[in-house]
Amino acid sequence: MSDPSAITSQALSAIGATQSPEQLDRIEIEYLGRKSGQISKLLDGIGKLAPEHRAALGKAANEAKQAIQEALDAKRRELESARLADLAETEAIDVTFPGPPLAQGHIHVLTQVQRQIETVLESLGYQVELGPEVETEWYNFEALNIGPGHPARENWDSFYFSPHLLLRAHTSPVQIRAMQRIKEPPIYIITPGRCYRRDAPEATRLPYFSQVEGLAVDKGLTVGDMKGTLLYMIQSLYGRERKVRVRPSYFPFTEPSFEFDVTCGICNGVGCKACRHKGWLEVGGCGMVHPQVLRNGGIDPAQWNGYAWGFGIERMAMLKHDVDDIRLFYESDLRFLEQF
Amino acid sequence: MLISYEWLGDFVDLEGVTPQTAADVLTRLGIEIESLTMVDLSQIVIGKVLEQVKHPKSRADLWVHQVDLGERTEQIIAGAPNAVPGSLVPVALPGTTVPNGKLVKDMNIAGYQARGMLCSAAELLLGEDHSGILILDRGHPGEPLTTVIPSHAVMQAEITSNRPDEVGHLGIARELEAGLDRPMKRDFMPAFTGTASPPGRELVDVSIDEPELCSRYIGGVIKGVRVGPSPDWMQRRLRACGVRPINNIVDITNYVLLEYAQPLHAFDLAKLRGPEIRVRRARAGERILALDGIDRELTAEMLVIADSDRPVAIAGVIGGEETAVSDQTIDILLESANFNGPSVRQTARALGLRTEASARFERALPPELALAGARRAASLIAEIAGGIVHRDWADVYPRPQQPVRIDMRPGLIDDVLGTHVPLEEAESILKRLNFHVKADGGGNWDVLPPVFRLDVTIPEDLVEEVGRVYGYDRVPPTLPGRRHEKWTPAAPSIDRRVDSARDVLTGAGFTETWNPALVSGRQLETLHISAHAMRVSNALSDDMDSLRTSILPSLVDVVALNRDRGRVDVRVFEVAKVFLVDVGEKDAQPEEPMRLAAVATAGASPDEGRVAFYALKAVLDGCIAGLSAPATVYDRASAQLFHPGRCAAVVLEGRQLGYVGELHPTVSASAKVEGRLVGFEIDLEPVLAAARAPHAQPLPRFPAVERDLAVVVEEHVAAGALLAVIKESGSDQLEHVRAFDEYRGAQVPDGYKSVAFTLTFRSPERTLTDAEVDKAMSEIKLGLEKRHGARFRE
Repeated sequence: MSDPSAITSQALSAIGATQSPEQLDRIEIEYLGRKSGQISKLLDGIGKLAPEHRAALGKAANEAKQAIQEALDAKRRELESARLADLAETEAIDVTFPGPPLAQGHIHVLTQVQRQIETVLESLGYQVELGPEVETEWYNFEALNIGPGHPARENWDSFYFSPHLLLRAHTSPVQIRAMQRIKEPPIYIITPGRCYRRDAPEATRLPYFSQVEGLAVDKGLTVGDMKGTLLYMIQSLYGRERKVRVRPSYFPFTEPSFEFDVTCGICNGVGCKACRHKGWLEVGGCGMVHPQVLRNGGIDPAQWNGYAWGFGIERMAMLKHDVDDIRLFYESDLRFLEQF
Repeated sequence: MLISYEWLGDFVDLEGVTPQTAADVLTRLGIEIESLTMVDLSQIVIGKVLEQVKHPKSRADLWVHQVDLGERTEQIIAGAPNAVPGSLVPVALPGTTVPNGKLVKDMNIAGYQARGMLCSAAELLLGEDHSGILILDRGHPGEPLTTVIPSHAVMQAEITSNRPDEVGHLGIARELEAGLDRPMKRDFMPAFTGTASPPGRELVDVSIDEPELCSRYIGGVIKGVRVGPSPDWMQRRLRACGVRPINNIVDITNYVLLEYAQPLHAFDLAKLRGPEIRVRRARAGERILALDGIDRELTAEMLVIADSDRPVAIAGVIGGEETAVSDQTIDILLESANFNGPSVRQTARALGLRTEASARFERALPPELALAGARRAASLIAEIAGGIVHRDWADVYPRPQQPVRIDMRPGLIDDVLGTHVPLEEAESILKRLNFHVKADGGGNWDVLPPVFRLDVTIPEDLVEEVGRVYGYDRVPPTLPGRRHEKWTPAAPSIDRRVDSARDVLTGAGFTETWNPALVSGRQLETLHISAHAMRVSNALSDDMDSLRTSILPSLVDVVALNRDRGRVDVRVFEVAKVFLVDVGEKDAQPEEPMRLAAVATAGASPDEGRVAFYALKAVLDGCIAGLSAPATVYDRASAQLFHPGRCAAVVLEGRQLGYVGELHPTVSASAKVEGRLVGFEIDLEPVLAAARAPHAQPLPRFPAVERDLAVVVEEHVAAGALLAVIKESGSDQLEHVRAFDEYRGAQVPDGYKSVAFTLTFRSPERTLTDAEVDKAMSEIKLGLEKRHGARFRE
């Protein structure tokens, strides 16, 4: 039978020589194991000893156990800190190697741009309003002051199903439907949606496209309010440095009518190749709602007035993302769609 | 329309106003100048050809010229043969940039020096002609070309359809007058110059049968004209505006058209039978040989100008060849009329013939313009072609233009614009635009628009007139204030609510597409989904003649396109409307349900198709969950476009939303797609209607017990049916059940399959004992045995 101090020094030297945590675990069992550890064995025959020896041995054994445990813990800490210190070498990987491809699909760029537009205008209190794409001629033309034989009708050359049923040429019919439904202003709506015109497909236009129109009907609205709304929208979408101008034009459903232009983002309005040296890019049309159109929507123009505007979502996306061919949006080539 | 800057100077003082300034002013006023072409001829010199020989070495047809440039002679090579010795020609010397943008350089062509270029009209932007060298009729060698042809500028103007008065230089000049605040040099209505007897109306009998279609017809008689080329300045202006000179009489009618916007026509009076002019509808079967050399058959919808026995012109569109002015013409009848816009448009469309005249009549010209145009043309004909204008023309005017008066509250201007325009300034603007403004006793304005402004009829029109001249740049941008007790609470649109499904799909690798709703009707028929389709009556082409009744074929085409372009795995979706009309009610607005559809490619084997089907179903479940709707159940179904053995109806709370499945092999084959395709298409509105905001549940306080159960049943028993029985016979403590494996083989007899489920039991009140779970399991087993003769694998 060894004495506790011999066991202790034996254990401490074993611990000192150890370089792995597994070896330490074995040493712990060998010396401190509950049943067959050296310290336990030392105490096996303790009952036979005289009481005074018993106390002394117990005390010595406890001290030995404590010393060994402390040495083990210290060694473990030493090994762990050495391991952590060496991590840079022992566990280094090639961090420049790429991760596995993520099968991530893409939201269509037109959906993205439409959402941006909606978000900006919703922040001004406008509500999204949707309507049918197959429309009656009344909603598409008559209600908007474009009677039969109107010289402007050729601007909205349309696809017909019958003399009175057609694919809407703009989302303006939704404005009339909204006025009829809401009845009592204030009305602040935007109408995103698909439209159709009988134009052969080319790089700048398609027989199908998407518009967002806005309509405000309230008391005492002004051209200034319309300009401010457009400016807020454009600057929110394209940045603070953009300017908006309204240019007199003609639409049967607004009076006065305007085209609205935005300063070219490439030259900042100075004039460059992209804007054909004009400094301005045409974006859409706008104007104060014609009194007859309000009447057609069931609104009394003596009490209320309004402004409206509209533009192509594709046009906005083309300006924002430098897309030069509108057909790309509807061709569904994933190599294009995955760029956004 | 092309506008010559120099021509505008005839009407308004442009001293100190550059073409660019004029263009900017016009654009601000609402006449958009799309482009401005400066034709600077100051660098071009006049040369006289002394000698012309064919290039002896060049294989191309080239001519070598010796050209006298005043102080020296240069050798110049050209490709056109028309600069014969003695010709005066425009010469661009090396270092000069020609108006069309070409830089002239010193050249050596097959051993011959070429020191300059002889210019064509097209190269100098003086016309379309590029077939030969421009031959000048006067000038001195060595002098700048501008001594005979001034530099000028041409603007491409976009005229809105409400302003027929602006489709001529006079109208544009009036805008500049108002915009620049400069006086006009000429009155709208020229003086009448006819003095000769007998009165014109005794020389030709004019009548109008259709006053609704022709509100005015002026027939002016001018005798003794000498037909020949028109003067240089006139030809140049016509060319600058894209009109080819023909002879002085025709050129004058075109010139006045470009000046006043009033179309005119000159007949050879000697060739008019009667002589008589009758404005009537064409008779069925009548024909006319038009000035473009094409013989056309007319219909009763078309208005014609006829003499005593045949049509001599198609009203407002084109004249007839047989009565046209020729070199032999001596006496002419000058027509200046007003035809109904829609009628002219209809005729022009029916004939496929849109002319300068018809384009103007379509916009509804003011009848007063007819007189102004006729007078202007008559004085030009007298001056240039030496004609004698007779007095008292025939002027049949059954529908005289009625003046419109507008009662306007001047405060409306500020109210609409949102800025203060001083009243004097507003009044001055209206006056500059030729409106008469008179204040009435009550402070309102009584406004009379000029005769050429039929578009101004309501007070808002006057606000626009004031605003555009005042300048909208001067209106400060504001946002409307809200002072209401009423509003509509914010609510996302249907489309926006689908975004959470879009997120699930993109997370699963599906890319969103926007595909045209116009598709091929034939394709719909081939796929047997055309019963509810609407067909466009005036389609652009066969492949866009119908509205789609399903999104899936579009997505199959997308797969085909991307496969063609090298992509193997394609996963795509679309959120869009389909269009379904009741059979037999083709004139009614269709149902336009909003749908969600997705398609994914799979390998060619049945097993790959099966795996892809289940993967897609998981995505669909994810979409439904993403939309916060209750879980869907699936019933075996058969549907168009789908594989007969691999298609399920998607059912939500008893309502069928659509289908999910493998697509029918013929569907992928018809799009030439190899391998299998899986897809789904569901109606979104019922899903959104069923959506509920989730209610928070307390977190479980006691552990769950999971048990697996392998159920052996005959092949035909569906997992869905087993699930239903398990849920039915399970106690309240059955929290969740999920099928996770299907097995055939060892230990499972032929004709049978083993379906494995994981069941989760939990009580909200205590930890369940094994005995309790065993009891629940045996009840479930009993149910499965009874209903489906199930056995169980350990």
